[in-house]
Amino acid sequence: MRRPRMLSRTAFRPWRDGAFRLLGTALAIAAFALSSVLLLRAELNERFDQRTAEVLGGQLVLDGSRAPEPAQRELMDAVRTVPAVEFRTVLVRNEQTLLVSARAVAPPYPLFGRLTLAPERFGTEYTADHGPPPGEAWLAGQALDRLGVQVGDTITVGQKELKLSAVLKREPDGGAGFYSMSPRLLMHHDDLQATGVIAEGTRLDHETLIAGPPERIARVRSQLEENLRPDQELEGVDDAAEETLSPLRQLTLWISLSVLLVALLCGAAIYLASGERVQRHARHAALMRCFGASRRQVLDDLLGREFVAVLPASLIGSGLGVLLVWAIRRQMEWQGAWSAGPAVWALALLAPLVLWASFALPRLLRLLRTPAGEVLRAGGDHTRPALELGAALAGPVALAALLTQSWQDLGLVLGILVVLGTVLPALFWPGLRWLDRRSARWPLTLRLALRRLSRRPLLTLPLLAALTLAIATLTLAGQTGTRLIDDWQGQLPDKAANYFLFNLLDEDKPVLRDWLDKHKGEPSPLYPIVRGRLTRIEGTPIREAVTKDKQDSEEALNRDLALTTAEQVPESNRILEGEWWDADAGPGQVSVEADIARSLDIDPGDSVTFVTSRDEVTGTVTSIREVDWASFEPNFYFMFSPGSLAAQDATWLTSFWLPEGSGRRLSELLEQMPHATLLDVDALLERAEQIARQASGAAFLLAFVLMGSALLVLGAALLAGQNQRGLDNALLRILGARHALVRRVQLLEFVLLGAGAALAATALVLAALWPLGQRLFDGALPISAWQLLPLAAIALITVLGGLLSRRSLAQPPLALLKAG
Amino acid sequence: MNPSPILSALHLGKTVPGPEGDLTLLDDVSLDVHAGESAAILGPSGSGKSTLLGLLAGLDRPTTGHVRLQDQNLNELDEDELAALRGRWCGFVFQSFHLVHDLTALENVMLPLELKGDPAARETATQWLGRVGLHQRRSHFPNQLSGGEQQRVALARAFAVEPALLFADEPTGSLDHANGRHVSELLFELNRDEGTALVLVSHDEELAGRCDRRWRLEEGRLHA
Repeated sequence: MRRPRMLSRTAFRPWRDGAFRLLGTALAIAAFALSSVLLLRAELNERFDQRTAEVLGGQLVLDGSRAPEPAQRELMDAVRTVPAVEFRTVLVRNEQTLLVSARAVAPPYPLFGRLTLAPERFGTEYTADHGPPPGEAWLAGQALDRLGVQVGDTITVGQKELKLSAVLKREPDGGAGFYSMSPRLLMHHDDLQATGVIAEGTRLDHETLIAGPPERIARVRSQLEENLRPDQELEGVDDAAEETLSPLRQLTLWISLSVLLVALLCGAAIYLASGERVQRHARHAALMRCFGASRRQVLDDLLGREFVAVLPASLIGSGLGVLLVWAIRRQMEWQGAWSAGPAVWALALLAPLVLWASFALPRLLRLLRTPAGEVLRAGGDHTRPALELGAALAGPVALAALLTQSWQDLGLVLGILVVLGTVLPALFWPGLRWLDRRSARWPLTLRLALRRLSRRPLLTLPLLAALTLAIATLTLAGQTGTRLIDDWQGQLPDKAANYFLFNLLDEDKPVLRDWLDKHKGEPSPLYPIVRGRLTRIEGTPIREAVTKDKQDSEEALNRDLALTTAEQVPESNRILEGEWWDADAGPGQVSVEADIARSLDIDPGDSVTFVTSRDEVTGTVTSIREVDWASFEPNFYFMFSPGSLAAQDATWLTSFWLPEGSGRRLSELLEQMPHATLLDVDALLERAEQIARQASGAAFLLAFVLMGSALLVLGAALLAGQNQRGLDNALLRILGARHALVRRVQLLEFVLLGAGAALAATALVLAALWPLGQRLFDGALPISAWQLLPLAAIALITVLGGLLSRRSLAQPPLALLKAG
Repeated sequence: MNPSPILSALHLGKTVPGPEGDLTLLDDVSLDVHAGESAAILGPSGSGKSTLLGLLAGLDRPTTGHVRLQDQNLNELDEDELAALRGRWCGFVFQSFHLVHDLTALENVMLPLELKGDPAARETATQWLGRVGLHQRRSHFPNQLSGGEQQRVALARAFAVEPALLFADEPTGSLDHANGRHVSELLFELNRDEGTALVLVSHDEELAGRCDRRWRLEEGRLHA
């Protein structure tokens, strides 16, 4: 019986100490933030890599104009490979011809994801984990319309007849969008030779799609890179992620930054709390030394006492982090084993200990160096600031390296942290100095409260910075996300288009008009659409006119663009340079969107040439337009003068507004024009809102944890200064101050601290919202009730500060006499 | 000498609960201090000097007996009334100076005046800093002053309110010999010039020797 009682007494006694509780709370918060982020990032990365591999077709893709060399094939024996050959060919059927983009693939295609097929043109979709068998082909739906063929018919590819056995809806690595120039045909690789298309001079694209364990992929990649032919290039998942600077990377960076801020704030709290712990331990350690204990024994005793807080707190925090990721996996319906490997799990559990080791351990170890006599006399300062500073910097840098895992991101995150850590306090410093000087003739209560802040800049400035950042982040997290979408939707005109219709044919136009009249829809202008790829600027091929970097990064150069003609400048567009054409202007003029004009260095007077499915279109730039992409009207990079695209194969595009509830009648319309594609804007917005809700939920949780950490630092600072604060209050009482005055000074101090942070946070939030206002709200700031959060934060800081420092108010004046 | 004492303690006792029963810190202490009189309470560490000073200044409540300050029974006053009484009649000088670190020397001297609501606090405080020879250092903060200077600021703060009674707890205890001497000279000079009664707690026989009356506190009991 005695042993469990003793154990519980030993285990729980330290928790009665405020500094101990604070240390434990700081570690638990840091462990929660670090473990959840490390585990969640592993999940997101794997899913992102999986998705990127799907889009690429493999984890690694070897691309060339000829098949790989035998030696290269040998190198790839260790991994799974799929040969894929792409070429353009013309399908002929009953005098109808159609240029298609054909692709011949062999098993085990697809390496990632699944193909989506349909048994007939508008049949129910299903998925397949393999390509077409030999002798068969799958063809995109619009090609069926144009050729007038059906599933079960035979088509001829070159010299080979293939049976059309399914409608190809989507390839995981197809990337075909609305504006894809040529429909896709998928066939088996074994049939390729028989088509006869592989001849000298034929333009073919040989891809080898590669998959395998990451370490083998890395080895194959490095071996292949040494043996690439000039026509070959390698692309991997990492390249794709880097090129796109994916939203995931930005999200991961933002999360890493937030978590590091949380860790730093918790580190600050640990540092302050450990100062109190050192004082508690000092006499005990000195006595042990006096009684002949070795340094090792003192160290064991010290660490043993601290680990009672450190280990359970870390485990509880990490456990909560694991629980959060488990809940997210469940909500997102992520199947399969957890993505984090043993290394990530170990990191998630050890990271809070790294934080403790860098912020608390050097201060505790100081006791080992202090001669016992000096500790007992409470004299001697054996701090080693260089060691403590070094350790306090090394810990967060190590954590940042663990979180970012790339030199570039590490530099970025540390750079932002340094800026936040120096610029924010530096911005507050002049204001605090000014108030300090001005306060000389202010009323006593206000002066006393202000001086408690202004005369301790080393504590006040970082505290102000931490609270400002936390309040601003929390306000922004609340303000953005769904609320911004709501606000933006509120800004849209009442009858903003809620449907887009693509691929309309000439004969569909009267059908659409009649249908909209019948269902009280509001039509927008119809635009002819011709797909074309920009090939020349001022007669110079794009490869020469534009730098390689720009060619890779400018998305518009790497896909077919939708070209159109218009008589009037669209309402949501504004001419910045040049002039829009007159009503009777001839063909051959083109208006260019401002961003792409700037990116490609296109000016009025330049000529631009596009290759289309039929031939080429050239126009002279007569104006540069600013486009409001958020207007939900059809918008275009290149708009030609009427008649410019008359000789091209065009379909039509329009948008329209339908009253709520009429959407379900759209199936009637689509039955009359089965080739058309409908885009439901409301559904898209709903999906966007759902994503925004999840993202803003995550951002809000992080901001909430950040706010908690900032308040923890406030608590730690109050704890560290509690004795002095108590003596100051006792002195005021001795000198004749009423209790109410002392309490007022204390509350006013926290009001000032909160107000300073709230003011700065509001300025930060407005500065962050300003560009959003410019972009989405015609220059008006998207103000909402969230702007009141800083006011609530003042109240929170005041109440919390008041509660945490109430012991110093209760300090009897006699304590001052006892203090000497 | 005024026959009516400014401060009187009658049968004062203080016991505190201890692990082995109540512990008596003071037992049946009675004393009178008259206006302008200086009195020293001497005693070794742990004899209860600070406890007695706390009771006399209304910083603590006695277990038995009572203290009268300016004819007011301190037992009958609440904490705020005690604070107001101290602010009105008393000055304090401590061993560790106890200046407010966030206030300048001038503001420290102004503090008790402002607490009293004195509209001329700044002028009075400036004058008092001049009297203790620290006019030039009025804008300095305590950490920019030496120990001796800090104690002179504390003296100015104590005398600025024109107290009827000054409590001094080991006023030279934290100072070197020269500074201690300077501060004690100043203390007795101001005490004499202002006609303030002085209650000095110390273990320094030489300092106590300069007072009009001396008591010795041993094991909680006061001996003349």
